[in-house]
Amino acid sequence: MNWTSFFHIDSLNGFVAIAVLGFSLIVILYSVRFMKGKPNLFRYYLWTVLAAIGSVGVCFANNLIVLLGLWGFLGLALYILINTGGEGANEVAKKTFVIVGGTDALMLLGIAIIYFLSGTSTMTAINLQMNSGLTITAYLCVAVACFAKAGLMPFHSWIPECAQKAPLPVVAFLPASLDKLLGIYLLARLSLNLFVMNEAMNILLMVMGAFTIIVAVMMALAQHDMKKLLGFHAVSQVGYMVLGIGTGNPIGIAGGIFHMLNHAIYKSCLFFTSGNVEHRLKTTELDELGGLAKLMPITYICTIIASLSISGIPPFNGFVSKWMIYQGIVTDLRVHSMALKVTSVICLFAAMFGSSLTLASFMKLIHATYLGQEAKSNAGVRTREVSWQMWLPCVILAVLCAVLGVFAIQLPLKYFILPAIGCPAVFIGTWQAVLATGLVVIALILGLLAMRLSLIKPKVRQGATFIGGEELDLVTYRMTGTEFYKTITDLSALKRFYKAIEGGALDIYEQGKDLVFFLAKPLHKLHNGVLSSYLVWCLLGIMAMLLWGIVK
Amino acid sequence: MRQDFVLLFIIAPLFLAVGTALLGRTVKQLGFMLSCACGLILCFCSFMVFGLLQKTPAHIFIYKVGGHLPPFGIALVFDGLSSFMLILVNFISLLVALYSFRYMDRYTDKWKFYCLFMFMLAGMNGLIISGDLFTLYVFLEVASVAGYALVAFGTEAEDLEAAFKYAVMGVVASIFILLGIALLYSYTSTLNMADMAFVLATKPQGALVAFVSVLFLAGFGLKSAMVPFHAWLPDAHPSAPAPISALLSGVFIKTLGVYALARVFFNVLGVSQKALFIMMFLGTVSMVVGAVLAISQRDIKRMLAYSSISQVGYIIFALGLGTPLGILGALFHLFNHAISKTMLFLNSGAIEYSTDTRNMEKLGGLNSRLPVTGSTSFIGGLSISGVPPLGGFWSKLIIILAAVQAGHFIFALIAVLVSIVTLGYYLKFQRFVFLGKLNLGLSKIRGIPLSMTIPVVILAAISIVSVLLLMPFAGHFLDSACNALIAGNLYKDSFWSAIIW
Repeated sequence: MNWTSFFHIDSLNGFVAIAVLGFSLIVILYSVRFMKGKPNLFRYYLWTVLAAIGSVGVCFANNLIVLLGLWGFLGLALYILINTGGEGANEVAKKTFVIVGGTDALMLLGIAIIYFLSGTSTMTAINLQMNSGLTITAYLCVAVACFAKAGLMPFHSWIPECAQKAPLPVVAFLPASLDKLLGIYLLARLSLNLFVMNEAMNILLMVMGAFTIIVAVMMALAQHDMKKLLGFHAVSQVGYMVLGIGTGNPIGIAGGIFHMLNHAIYKSCLFFTSGNVEHRLKTTELDELGGLAKLMPITYICTIIASLSISGIPPFNGFVSKWMIYQGIVTDLRVHSMALKVTSVICLFAAMFGSSLTLASFMKLIHATYLGQEAKSNAGVRTREVSWQMWLPCVILAVLCAVLGVFAIQLPLKYFILPAIGCPAVFIGTWQAVLATGLVVIALILGLLAMRLSLIKPKVRQGATFIGGEELDLVTYRMTGTEFYKTITDLSALKRFYKAIEGGALDIYEQGKDLVFFLAKPLHKLHNGVLSSYLVWCLLGIMAMLLWGIVK
Repeated sequence: MRQDFVLLFIIAPLFLAVGTALLGRTVKQLGFMLSCACGLILCFCSFMVFGLLQKTPAHIFIYKVGGHLPPFGIALVFDGLSSFMLILVNFISLLVALYSFRYMDRYTDKWKFYCLFMFMLAGMNGLIISGDLFTLYVFLEVASVAGYALVAFGTEAEDLEAAFKYAVMGVVASIFILLGIALLYSYTSTLNMADMAFVLATKPQGALVAFVSVLFLAGFGLKSAMVPFHAWLPDAHPSAPAPISALLSGVFIKTLGVYALARVFFNVLGVSQKALFIMMFLGTVSMVVGAVLAISQRDIKRMLAYSSISQVGYIIFALGLGTPLGILGALFHLFNHAISKTMLFLNSGAIEYSTDTRNMEKLGGLNSRLPVTGSTSFIGGLSISGVPPLGGFWSKLIIILAAVQAGHFIFALIAVLVSIVTLGYYLKFQRFVFLGKLNLGLSKIRGIPLSMTIPVVILAAISIVSVLLLMPFAGHFLDSACNALIAGNLYKDSFWSAIIW
């Protein structure tokens, strides 16, 4: 019994642990102002710190039982932290904990099977071939826990609701960054070290990833609440990570892991900026916002950077990791297996399409919040930029988005991610990030100069709007950013899709609840409270036992 | 002899009960004081027994009542398992007695309650230490009859109905058990359990033993509320006063049902694959049925009662695995469930005391007014649902590990799925009762006196640290209990060698 059988450090978990600690610090910095005056502060900070410690423990755990205990403890921390949000958050907290804690129970089963198969619970000593139904069950059981923590469909349904109802720093801390980091970390650990993946499993992961990307981003398009929209994106992006890991080749896996880090950066940045808006305007309903760019410039710029990054626009980090994932998929096309080829083509298409939809939904968010006319509710209110404790975290994260994007290969990939994969990743094509960034910046500067020097004169004609002779009240009849996107939900082809999802068709919690209540119905009928029927059961029970004893 | 103190396990509660019956009406609070004293004495004795066992070879000693040698005299057997059960039962009884001090104010004739309570305690202790089957049966009846009366203690219509059902089904169970004992006696000509095991080992195991096994399974199954013999429990446990509900669900069904079943099957009859499979199967069915029914209950105590069915299902299932790891899981789960379920039932009583209702839909937001009740209920619920780092998690972990090691994957999967449902209904309980907005329909919320919070706080603390019992330095407590069952048929050999020693 020495400590290496319980804890183990390598470049993969070292890097995740550093990220965990970094995010914890940033979130605590942000909370200082945001949570000021809110109830349950002691509980909030206590469990935030405990969650951070637990997460670091999960990263370094080298023993499956230790891992399981800490992992379950994080679910508990999540439940308690969501509950600090007060009344509205209670129902969501319950749902979250049922999904997360429930999948932890499945993980327990998976770990029991792994222990049964390999005879050890030391993670570094386990290397299982996927050759029997039992191994696959074990893999899936543990993977499901990772999916639920990270939020892959159909285990995602807690994330959007949680994003809407829970206190914002909690959302930025757990569902947006830590849970993603740990969920994907464990999935990577599982797929890289504990199990030898086979093609069917890879295809399963890829399909689930691609499905999540598309469905979640479609849901995000239809949202009217900024935080819920971001919540659906938090689900959609998990699809990319799982897709990357599912490709099964080094570049794709590296991309998936890199995307996990990038996602945590830009998504917590986005949540923080929405928190800034909420802090000032007390609402995150897109319809009630507008024109905040002039009033909160720092928040605005950070939102733009993070939005571009999540949509995969160069030179930001989101682009690099997505690009690596695409390369991973393309690499899979070279494999001889037909099934893998077909899946890869579909997934590549889904991933790219999902990226463009992401951009579309962020245009909606940015337009509705920061551009356009001011909403009635905040017209006239002098909104200021938030205090430095709140904008500094956003700026740090936005700068990280740019730095990790430009120096992706030089910094994170070289020192952390590629060593963790263990084999060199081969890049297809060339991407000189620094050069490209330079070109982009030069292009932007030239464009600005051209504007300033009036080399290009936009031809704009301004005329009076005629609406039946009445004065146009711009505050009442303003253009909101959400109107345009309503056409999507009204499309007849998609109407049913949206209705089904809103109704909980993909919500494992609702489905499970229905199943349990369905099972309960006949049992309730049987328990009629009549003593004689209860005695008949006893008699039947004893007769059945006797009969079984004779027959067998 | 220095071992004479063990007679206190039976004598103390019996005499104090009679004393309460004689003087309780005239001397106020006598019942409370005597039952607390009784609890304290027995707790102390239980630990004495535990300490004594550590010093004896083979962790077993026999007390010969009246000095007559078994199998002719009555023997009281103390081994790892009985000392484990004694500590659990007496410790929880002590806390329950303390709790009842203020809670029982809502009832008249408190002394009758304490009198019955001590009879029940005498029954449970006697059952645990008895070394022969007929003494076991007698004490089982003593405890059961006290239980029937206590369930009816409120004397409302539904209490009486529940007690009637419980009594009828309980008597059916007793008849099964008695018939089984009679048949065994006719077959082996002895009642001493070790002697009986000895005789059975020399005789062919025919249809009679199989029939007796079925009778015992049904009888003890009724007492431990295994499906389909469970129907009395959801009525009986909610009807009793809260301290008694806590005792019934916490230790009573485990002593009369699980302990007796394990003792008779593992140490006397010898486990057959068929019996083990039946235990595993019925345990799994109980898990599922209990959990599925618990989730749709509105009455807090009814939900807890169904939860008990489900959790006892886990214990029986783990026993049915028959492997050392499974037995360890079963006993550890028994311990954790006893702690948590007692805590939850005591809290349900506190809620009723404070708000006069047990309907979850009429409650809400109690965390702001009853923080101790809220947080201890949270701990108890999570422990039963198996959330780390609480005790229930570790016992569930061991049970699942054992099930997988034994190759019962489907059963393991069911056990895991049931634990998800369990988490669901305990979170629902938390959400409806303690979280959210304070329900305006609650006209008055009484504060909970200290005597009702201290016991639950102690229990909560135990369920947080109970993982320490698995650590090497605390190994004896669980290990020697498990060894008693794992030894199986060797029980008779260690019995005889202990007699000689």
